Formats: sequence, C-alpha cells, structure tokens
Amino acid sequence: MKTNIKKISELGIALALAVILSYLRVYQMPQGGSVSLEMVPIFLLALRWGWKDGIFLGFTYGVMQILLKGNNVYHLLQGILDYPVAFAVLGLAGLFNTKIKNKFFVVLAVLLGGGLRFIAHILSGVVFFGAYAPEGSNPWMYSISYNSTYMIPEIIISILVTLFLLKGLSEDFFVVEGVKAVDNE
Amino acid sequence: MLDDIIIGQYIERDSFIHSLDPRIKILVIIFFIITIFLINAFTGYLFLAFFILVTVLLSKIKVKYIIKSIRPLIFIISFTLIVHLFMTRGGQIIWEWRFLKIEEEGLRMGLFMSLRLIFLVSYTSLLTLTTSPLALTDGLESLLKPFEKIGLPAHELAMMMSIALRFIPTLLEEAQKIMKAQKARGADFESGNLINKAKSLIPLLVPLFVNAFRRADDLALAMEARCYRGGEGRSRMNALLLVNKDYIVLALSFVYLISVGIFL
Repeated sequence: MKTNIKKISELGIALALAVILSYLRVYQMPQGGSVSLEMVPIFLLALRWGWKDGIFLGFTYGVMQILLKGNNVYHLLQGILDYPVAFAVLGLAGLFNTKIKNKFFVVLAVLLGGGLRFIAHILSGVVFFGAYAPEGSNPWMYSISYNSTYMIPEIIISILVTLFLLKGLSEDFFVVEGVKAVDNE
Repeated sequence: MLDDIIIGQYIERDSFIHSLDPRIKILVIIFFIITIFLINAFTGYLFLAFFILVTVLLSKIKVKYIIKSIRPLIFIISFTLIVHLFMTRGGQIIWEWRFLKIEEEGLRMGLFMSLRLIFLVSYTSLLTLTTSPLALTDGLESLLKPFEKIGLPAHELAMMMSIALRFIPTLLEEAQKIMKAQKARGADFESGNLINKAKSLIPLLVPLFVNAFRRADDLALAMEARCYRGGEGRSRMNALLLVNKDYIVLALSFVYLISVGIFL
C-alpha cells in the first residue's frame, strides 16, 4: 500500500483536534459525566475520506485516549470496547460520504456512528458490571441509564455542530485530490 | 473552558522505570491486568500490592500523583463497594438496620472488588506517568508491527499519533487565541442550552478547523519535500533498543505475576 501523505497528515491533525475538543467540556453533567465534541473531527474526516479511513482514524483516537488518560481501563474487554471499538465505529459515518450535500444523510451518518458508539459503551458497561457488581443485579439497566446521560446529549450536539460546520467549511473540503485548481488562475 | 489543560500525565524523572523500554512496560501492564483477574483471594492481593510498591519506589513518582489518578474514580469505587455491601449475601450478619443488612460475604466482596479497581488504576497510571506519549507511540508501533500482516497499518497509526502529539499544543494555543478574539467581539461560550451552545461554538470551530487543515496541507508538503514515503525502510534517529535490564525485568515480572495469578 502506498502511503498517502496528505491523508496521513490530515488524519493526524484531526486526531489532535479530537483530543483538544475532548477537553472542551461543552456541558457538565451533575453526576460528573461531561459532553464534548470529540466525535466531530472523526465524523468530518470520515465524510471526507470514506468509511475505511474513518474507522482507522477512530481506532487510532481510541488507542490514543488510552495512552493519554491511561486510567480508565478496568478490564481488558471493557478497555477495548470503551476506546478502540467505541471510536472506530464512528468511522462508519463515512458510508454516506457521497451524499453530504443532503442534510438528511449527514444526520443519518452521525446518528449511525454515534449510535454504534453508544452500543459499544453499553456493552462495555455490561462487561464492567459483570466483573464488579454482585450477581443478580441487572447490568443492562445500569449500563443503559448511565451511558445515556452523556451519550444522548453528545450525539445531539454532534449532529448540530457537524451540520453547522458543513455549512461553514467550503464545499471543496470534501472534494478529495482537489479537482478544482483555483490557484492556477 | 480551555484553560489549564494538561494533556497526558507524563512526569519526567531520572529513574529505573523511566529508563525501561516502553514495549517492556506495555507488556508488563498486560500481564498485570491478566493476573489481577486470575486472583480470587486477598493473599494474592498482598503479593500484588508488593509488586506495585516496588514499581512505585523504583519509579521515583510521588504517591500523591497516583492518588490523583484514582480520584476521578471515587464514584465508581464507592458504588462498587456499596452495591456489594448491601446486595451480596452470605455468611454472618455484621450489621442490620430495618431493611438494610450487611453480611460477611458482602463486606468481603465489596473490599475485594474496590481493591481490584484501585490496584488496576494505580498500576496502569504508572505507565502513563513514567513514559512519554511519544515513547509510548514508538513502543506501540513496534508491538503492532506483526499485525501489519493482517492489515493493521501500524506505521501509519504511529505516524498519525506522533503528528497529533506534535500539533496538540499548537492547535490548543490557536483555539485559545480564537476564543479570546471572539469573546472580544462579544461571543458567549459559557451559557445557554445545548442547542444555543452548539451554535455559539461555530465561531470558534470554523476558524480552528480551517487553520488546522491548512496546517495539514503545509505538513504534507513538508513531508513530501523530505521524501517521506511511509514506513517501509524508514530509519530512526533514536531506535528502540532492548538491553539486558529490559529482558530481566520482563522475565522477572512475567514469572512473578503468572505464579501469583495461578497459585493464589
């Protein structure tokens, strides 16, 4: 595989943006969870380069989160689900990368990625409660109610910001390999 | 909103643990996680606590930093403890009040599970406290190399992470600058409901993204000009090198942890 330098550098920069946005707490939940925009750069790049690179970017972001915040892994399976898997699935938003002119598909793309991440967190919560909570308690209930407190607002705000950003960024941002040669005129 | 952020936890010290190869440290962490789930008695934890203590002493990291990394988990740890206390049944009744009951097994399991969490978190945070993100990235690239055969682009992954680590401070500074500039124009980032907040962030995000991708363009050009063409045959200035002490640490930790995990 020949390395695409432009792609690598863009994905790297998007990774940096996602890390920065993860520290920008948009909304603080009363019980400690917080809502951030960390998913937005991953969605944008997935919509630009397609789902394969989107998944790769999300996966790398998840690994990087472990390396930077290293203290949220309580179980091997939980760690894998909560980081690499949860963010890799965001890249599937790129399945809609040919239809970004249509707002409906952009919303659908973010919903798909965000929804799958939600599921990954729910599963990891079940693994966590399975390993730490007493037998007989219902892990699904705990996990769904805990994760929805921050995932649902986060998905909503990501949809809004992604839509606004698509309007704000120029259209040729999504034309890979710059077909328009504006500079030559 | 973006003030006093510390990205990563690395603390520079001149210690034995700091000087170890990052790959060895990652492998030992994996052994540690496996061991902790194999143990099902308090005696095993005694040996594990000893292992953690030795690592902490060798790393010259102050205990307060490790306690700091546990602090965000206070909620989860106390939740685990309380749920076990009141819900796990078995053994003698220790304490009773109306419908609340604590039995021996509940106390035992509660302490056991909370300790498991505390041990896990303190040991994994030792990795990020003693290894710089860049060293971790290099270590990860080398450990993931074998997976290139099944299609995981290890070099690209590490390259992206290195680029990100290099540009996080730059972009953070830029974000702070844009925020100040927009605040001077009357922008309000702090108040409003979810939708208003999303809208209010656009004057920050659009310039931030546009600038960031302009930087990505420049970077790609600079890399191309320096003949970067992917991982194949690329050499390094500071190549990772395993020395005797790395092998010894790996072997000792492996034998110690696995025997603790199997026998206790």
